[in-house]
Amino acid sequence: MSAPLLQLEGVTRRYRMPRTALFRPPPVLTAVDNVSLSLNAGQTLGIVGESGSGKSTLARMIMAFEAPDEGAVLFQGADLNRLSGADLRLARRRFQMVFQDPFGSLDPRRRVGWSIAEPLRATGAEDSAARVTQALDQVGLRAGDAEKYPHEFSGGQRQRIAIARAIVTRPALLVADEAVSALDVSVQAQILNLLMDLQEEMGLAMIFISHDLAVVACICDRILVMRNGKSIETGDTGALIANPRHDYTRSLLVASGLET
Amino acid sequence: MALTQVSVAFSGAVALREASVSIAPGARLGIVGESGCGKSMLGLCLMGMVPDAAQVTGSIRLNGQELAGAPERVWRRHRARDVAMIFQEPMAALNPLKRVGETVMEPLMIHEGLSRPAARARALALFEEVGLPDPAASLRQYPHEISGGQRQRVLIALALACDPGLLVADEPTTALDANVALRIIELLVRLSKSRNMALVFISHDLAAVSRATEQMLVMYGGDIVERGPTAQVLAAPRHPYTQGLLGARPGLENRGRTPDGRRKRLVTIPGTVPPLFDLPQGCRFSGRCGQEFAPCARHRPQPTALGGGQEAACHLLSPLHAGRGAA
Repeated sequence: MSAPLLQLEGVTRRYRMPRTALFRPPPVLTAVDNVSLSLNAGQTLGIVGESGSGKSTLARMIMAFEAPDEGAVLFQGADLNRLSGADLRLARRRFQMVFQDPFGSLDPRRRVGWSIAEPLRATGAEDSAARVTQALDQVGLRAGDAEKYPHEFSGGQRQRIAIARAIVTRPALLVADEAVSALDVSVQAQILNLLMDLQEEMGLAMIFISHDLAVVACICDRILVMRNGKSIETGDTGALIANPRHDYTRSLLVASGLET
Repeated sequence: MALTQVSVAFSGAVALREASVSIAPGARLGIVGESGCGKSMLGLCLMGMVPDAAQVTGSIRLNGQELAGAPERVWRRHRARDVAMIFQEPMAALNPLKRVGETVMEPLMIHEGLSRPAARARALALFEEVGLPDPAASLRQYPHEISGGQRQRVLIALALACDPGLLVADEPTTALDANVALRIIELLVRLSKSRNMALVFISHDLAAVSRATEQMLVMYGGDIVERGPTAQVLAAPRHPYTQGLLGARPGLENRGRTPDGRRKRLVTIPGTVPPLFDLPQGCRFSGRCGQEFAPCARHRPQPTALGGGQEAACHLLSPLHAGRGAA
């Protein structure tokens, strides 16, 4: 049995809050509190929780956008926060992210082909038009769309562009943070289906973060429920929905319409 | 309140096409659809807040009085007292420089002519009614000091201040966490019942509408495509668009894997909602509908009664075309 693709070991992240009084130490917010998880290649893990539960901070640490105060993030066995800058850049080819806002995550002044090729340049890979064309094809857009600007696309198409950008380096792991939350229901279904297609075709592992348990449940093998920075329940999707052990998980089920 | 054949157009782009809706006292009506389908425009018609640039035709009656085309000064007498509205983003709707208690007291002093102490007492009672924790302390807080759910409660208190007969809630739970949203819905239903206040609940979230309302409208491209009792429409949708919307929602039935080990896919509606100036002339849904046939693109379907108060505007259901179409 090989090592898991991604492993989080007791990861904690604290933020210092603004001072409330001149001579008192500033209060500390523990955004992520001792969270561990592991993910094998090709698996999908959902992270659910309400706003402020720490799920996006967790995603930022998985992406090595910021380092944990305690614990380690291991990707293919390597501690991301101990890699040199050059090695981290190389490693980034293997994990990429899709953000919530398809309007804010694309540079409005650049043709989308340029934006899609950005991860290739950033990780020192060859900036090739062929790779961009292939990525566009994989997300159901045409090669000619590379020459257009973001404003020429609808919200759903923009999210397809964001996904094309994330898969252009052929990663092993895709982190999607509220990637469908801003979309209308019918478009949301198209994007979820696209992610399922890509996951099966490319053998992608996926971390799918959402406040909506119903969305997470339809795309993930396993689910981790976060609250106040802590992982309060984790399990296979079917078991967690059929038999939630935590009252909070049950309330999320009710809220998402999976249970009444 | 009754709208009859109300249309709203912006220099050729039709945002709402001959919509007729009537709302009885105490009724709870849901309006469902995706962005750009006209649901917010319908809400604004009820409030007399359609933008000046729009051409509005049809009749808008409030307690028997014709208000279509009425000047702002007339509408102003009715807003707050007869019709009130809450919006999606509670932070944007509150004045950040004012304590929330002051914000709620303002309409009481202006519309009802109450003195400050009397307005304060009413605001306190309203804060209790909407379930704010520690209402007395809440009066003195600023919007940034309270959570999103509490802000929405403050806005509901503000909307209730002059005891309106109709509350229009436009996506009131969309910006909130799922658990908080559920509690806001419970609050709105409770208030509607206890005050015999009509509630128009506008949302893209079918689960929220199913909890909040008794009757619902489904809108697409400025048309009302289906309507009826909420439970009945959701259990047995007849319009292809309503069916598509329900199928696209992730739920228990489309979870898991098919026998060949692939994950089950969601039902999708192909394409996207066309822009208002580029809507098909006949059925607005033609071009995206999987069951389209000859008359769809050219002729506008009229609503067909389907029993139990449900009706849908689709050529497939029309007796004229019985047994026709791809289905």
